[in-house]
Amino acid sequence: MARNRYLVLPSVILLTAFVLYPSGVAIYTSLTNLSLTGPAALNPRFIGLGNYARLLHDGSFWHSLVVTFWFVLFSAIIGQLALGLASAVLMRRRFALRPFFNAIILMPNAVPGVVAALMWSSMLASGDYGTLNKIVAWFGVDPQRWLVTFPLSMIIVINIWRGIGFAMILMTSGLSAISDELYEAARMDGATPWQSFRRITLPLLVPTIFLYLLVSTVTTIAIFSLVYALTRGGPAGATEIIGIYVYNQSFDAYRLGYGSAIAVVLLVISLIIGMFYVRALKVEV
Amino acid sequence: MALAVSRKAEAGRFGMLFVIGIYCLMPFVWLLLAAFDPDAGLFIKMPAEVDLSNFYRVFAQEDGFLWLFNSLVVCGGATFLVLVLSGFGGYALSRTRAWWKLPFLYSIILIRVIPPPALIVPLYQVMLAANKGMQTIVRATVPSDHYRETMRIVGFIDGYLGLILLMAALHLPLALWIMKTFFDTVSREYEEAAVMDGATFGQRLRRVLIPLAMPGLAASGLFAFIACWDDFLVPLTFISSPELRMLPLGIYSAFLRDNQIDYGLLAAIAVIYTIPAVAAFVLARRFLVQTFGGGLKG
Repeated sequence: MARNRYLVLPSVILLTAFVLYPSGVAIYTSLTNLSLTGPAALNPRFIGLGNYARLLHDGSFWHSLVVTFWFVLFSAIIGQLALGLASAVLMRRRFALRPFFNAIILMPNAVPGVVAALMWSSMLASGDYGTLNKIVAWFGVDPQRWLVTFPLSMIIVINIWRGIGFAMILMTSGLSAISDELYEAARMDGATPWQSFRRITLPLLVPTIFLYLLVSTVTTIAIFSLVYALTRGGPAGATEIIGIYVYNQSFDAYRLGYGSAIAVVLLVISLIIGMFYVRALKVEV
Repeated sequence: MALAVSRKAEAGRFGMLFVIGIYCLMPFVWLLLAAFDPDAGLFIKMPAEVDLSNFYRVFAQEDGFLWLFNSLVVCGGATFLVLVLSGFGGYALSRTRAWWKLPFLYSIILIRVIPPPALIVPLYQVMLAANKGMQTIVRATVPSDHYRETMRIVGFIDGYLGLILLMAALHLPLALWIMKTFFDTVSREYEEAAVMDGATFGQRLRRVLIPLAMPGLAASGLFAFIACWDDFLVPLTFISSPELRMLPLGIYSAFLRDNQIDYGLLAAIAVIYTIPAVAAFVLARRFLVQTFGGGLKG
């Protein structure tokens, strides 16, 4: 069976052709002024670190980093985790409607990004008849143009919606490792539910939460379809997360070289988080 | 007293679950109502009459069949390729002891972490070059009146082959990881017994390895299919001819139409596009936690 190892070669070839080699090309392209049209499309010039120097002074680039940061922080790190953990804790015990709630919370997870964008453009439609506007009207709030007035917040709300189910599944599996006896003992000692959550659940869930945060951070940074289909990064760049900025610079503004420089920054950020992930997994392999 | 407290707690628990449930469920309401409403708009309303006319129009007036077919060919092809490669690769990674194994496994995770938007420009360059190469080959070997049809199949831009290879490559790392961890749990004894009995490699593969690997293959195949089915960036960048449009692009183009947007039609395509994704997700659910350890979510 010694030659078994060569069975991995086809995978290596495919990954080299479509991931590793392109990553190299990205780094090289980021050092040129390659463009999609015009003279720089045929004869790109090598301009060294010119694109990166320009990035430093590009307000839109920094803006997109900031938008990405808020997007990841509020949707993946805070929103999905909090609601996913809450759902998992609330559904820890069996009750009649549990499978029903379970299915409902998981459903958004299965919806393709483009469809999620479509559903939410109905939810967020402006005017008196928009669904969300009808709902807030019960509380006496005036109709809003949600995607114009609060674009980033709305994108975050939608992305939280998509991710609760995944967080819930993982937190449920983390919770199931905690023995019921601990809670029994705590209740005997007169602990309130909140106290046992703080003192038992949270500390014992830390490894699960940590791994979840790494995963959701890298997957959220990579989001494209949801935001592109809904706003294409607008209005006025308010939802231009870094993946969208790469695309817009490269294929709308035709600056392939410059787009590549942004892509390399995105690559480096993701790889750094990936390194943490690898370290966290070292125990398991 | 204790009973009263727990009843209040119970009510609070249901209240919170109820709010989360509404949040999750609400956006589906419009989609389902609109898809069956011949007079649907962007706003929620009860259909005056319920029928299948929107679905009929997707297939009769629009290119619904074509989009569905293209999606199935590309995602089916990519999933098949992923299954074969990750099956062999995962097996090799599980059964081999070599100095490069650990670094290799870690690089798989790092590759998996790369966001597709970061690769899209270089991929465009690579696919363009591969497409030029393929054009030369096809020109030299295929009669010129079949040139376009052939390129549609083997081309890298506006061609099935390129899309399938690219999608497979993007979703291979997770599958490799799943298969590797899966084969780690499968005992070698069955294989050794088969070797003792004088089975050829082909026989071992068909009679022993593939049946044993089925649960792992199911997981890696489902995740690859879900990821490919959801992918929008790759079709957006590498498909320009309407004949190769896949479902997500069908929705996007129906959404971007300048004149009145046909929301009933749009909702019907979205429902058609969502059903296979939900089905695959339901099947994949029980693997979600197992694969989380190494593979990152699907």
